[in-house]
Amino acid sequence: MAHATLRTRPLLGLGLGLLMTVLAGCGQSLPDHSADELRGRGDIAGGIRFSWWGSASRNDRTNAVADLFEAEHPGVEVRREAADFGNYFKRLNVQGAGRNMPCVTQLQARTLGDFTARDALLPLDPMIESGAIDVSDIPEAVLDTGRGEDGRLYMLPTGAAYDALMVNETLAEEAGVALPEPGYDWDDYVTFLRDAAEGLPDGIPATALRGGLPNFFIAYVQGLGEHMFDGNQLGFSRELLVEYWEMWEEIRAEGLANSPAANAEEPPSPEASYVASGDVLSDNRPGNALTPIQGTLDGQGEGQRMTSLPLPSGPAGQGNVLITSGLSIPRNCANVPTAAAFLDFWANDPRSGDTYASDNGAVTNTELLRRQLDDPELPDLKKRELALYQRIVADDPSIVLYPPGYLAVFESAFTRAYEDVAFGNQTVPEAVDTFFAEANDGLAR
Amino acid sequence: MSAHATAPVRGPRQVGGPRRPGRPRRPLFGNRPTRSPLLRALVKHSVMIITLTLMLYPLLWMFGASLRPDNQVFTTLGLWGSDLTLDNYAAGWSGGDQLNFSRFFLNSLTITVLSIVGNLLACALTAYAFARLEFRFKKTLFALVIGTLLLPYHVTLVPQYILFNQLGWVNTILPLVVPKFLATDAFFIFLMVQFIRALPSSLDDAARIDGCGHWGIFWRVVMPLSIPALGTSALFTFINTWNDFLGPMLYLTEPDSWTVSQGLASFLDATGQSAYGSLFAMSTLSLVPVLGFFVAAQKLLVEGIATSGLK
Repeated sequence: MAHATLRTRPLLGLGLGLLMTVLAGCGQSLPDHSADELRGRGDIAGGIRFSWWGSASRNDRTNAVADLFEAEHPGVEVRREAADFGNYFKRLNVQGAGRNMPCVTQLQARTLGDFTARDALLPLDPMIESGAIDVSDIPEAVLDTGRGEDGRLYMLPTGAAYDALMVNETLAEEAGVALPEPGYDWDDYVTFLRDAAEGLPDGIPATALRGGLPNFFIAYVQGLGEHMFDGNQLGFSRELLVEYWEMWEEIRAEGLANSPAANAEEPPSPEASYVASGDVLSDNRPGNALTPIQGTLDGQGEGQRMTSLPLPSGPAGQGNVLITSGLSIPRNCANVPTAAAFLDFWANDPRSGDTYASDNGAVTNTELLRRQLDDPELPDLKKRELALYQRIVADDPSIVLYPPGYLAVFESAFTRAYEDVAFGNQTVPEAVDTFFAEANDGLAR
Repeated sequence: MSAHATAPVRGPRQVGGPRRPGRPRRPLFGNRPTRSPLLRALVKHSVMIITLTLMLYPLLWMFGASLRPDNQVFTTLGLWGSDLTLDNYAAGWSGGDQLNFSRFFLNSLTITVLSIVGNLLACALTAYAFARLEFRFKKTLFALVIGTLLLPYHVTLVPQYILFNQLGWVNTILPLVVPKFLATDAFFIFLMVQFIRALPSSLDDAARIDGCGHWGIFWRVVMPLSIPALGTSALFTFINTWNDFLGPMLYLTEPDSWTVSQGLASFLDATGQSAYGSLFAMSTLSLVPVLGFFVAAQKLLVEGIATSGLK
């Protein structure tokens, strides 16, 4: 048959024209803020977008605070964007690239560097100086976790999380071992594991294998008074990491920890963890995991109790560091005064503190924290979580300035390198060399 | 016109070629032929049932877990716990302040239906052009279209986002639906091109003699004969769109516009308290449309794949 022939030149021209139009339109311009706006001054009106991470229960609390703010400022609309932690930052990275971050963006100290390095955030210091944001009730050490490399404040820390040693008190009692004393160090920790292992039932190891957990290693480094990072490079020595991983290999070789295979299969959420199901005696988990872990233990119906302790200390002091989350205002925000008012409301209004109830780390405002601790209706486990935070803050925890790419580069490389050791693919010195090369190369980009 | 033609139907292929006469068939199990057909069937079915159970166990466990109280979800690897409840279904469906699964199902359904319509119309038209028309740079353009299959999604993620943001389409369904009407799914274009090429061109000639133009040939001859390929494309589009998470996560930011996959993700968070009971309950319900659509369209799926040469 004779196939038809179409004239394609006009269509190609049209297509190219469209393409050029689209390409010319790329590249969002940033709003031109006035001096007053940069100080957070102006009308509190109009709409702002607000994004955070969390699950359904945290979303409810966050929405309630946003509703309170809207009621306080009639005519203001807070449009909300939530996602779970991992996906939240995937989306935020794309939004950042498109200069379309929400006016109030929740960040974590560990991810702050990713956005300050791109100059995507407005400094909050002028807003604090003008009185638009009040930080007088936030401890200086906590506030400093929101600073960038240039010393300016880019994130207002509103919640402070920490990692804790979760120990199944009931199993420890049955094993005839006392919990580590306050101020215990790494030697005491290993001794505790050894003593416990002798009295624990078969099949229940004294700890989950956590040699590949970055937060545990950070505690080790801080306890020695060393630095995690030196600018965009690793700040500790190879020898220090070799020593740390060899300690974990000893723990594993003595049968004090669960197997690398079991460890690799463990679901990440606290409710589904081995320590929550009573299959290990202890584990390093975020302090706010105490409530969900106890919830799963309660579901077993065996009456087991969970407690949380600070991480081991070292010669230089406590190992615990605070992992703060907070609120930032990106440069692309066109309604800075309203965003600043929202930050101030979130950080200082008693109704905000009571409603949110330290759902994402202990509230950093000491006055709001006191109200929560005095609240007779606050569950006991939550009070214990907040009390441990107070204890850590009182000991003046070190501040870690996380470089850009920390989560994407450092954490994944660290965990992978230790898994290579635990599965017998590499010796400790080999894995340390691999990790140093990968981390330094990735962080330098 | 009256072009009553049927699609070329191929018979089932014989794996390993024709059997040689007189040579006994090799037994499925063991080296010696099993004498009793009943025993052989029993063994075969037992193996299949065991394999099926193993493959379905995670789904069955999920269903069982959805019927347990939230704090007992992870207490057993067995299918049933001591306490059974429907609370997770009620809590999950109503969600929280801004979460409501009836809204999420409606949003998912809207996007899925529009994506199917868009893909079928646009990909079929494009496929017809590549299969039946002659124009300059046809082979180059077809290679470019197929080449997009090799392009990782991550490469286009940010430019696409910037473009849609410039157009003011973020937080609407447009970024998820409009591209489907522009024939951007190269896989379906390829599938349909293969199918249409297998249709005899004499049918087009007959239609042309009867007075049909390209539109008439496409609509009255090619489309009716391409139902298996269209069915396959519809099924794959349904599954891909219903299960898509990244696209909706990027573009549908406010809870009112969330899809089912976003609603499911909202039950979990590594930094806080998760609601696994509600998650498993709603996951069970979210499987129902996919399974239903698959069961309804599986005949078309098999025909579409078998007759388009895709394996």
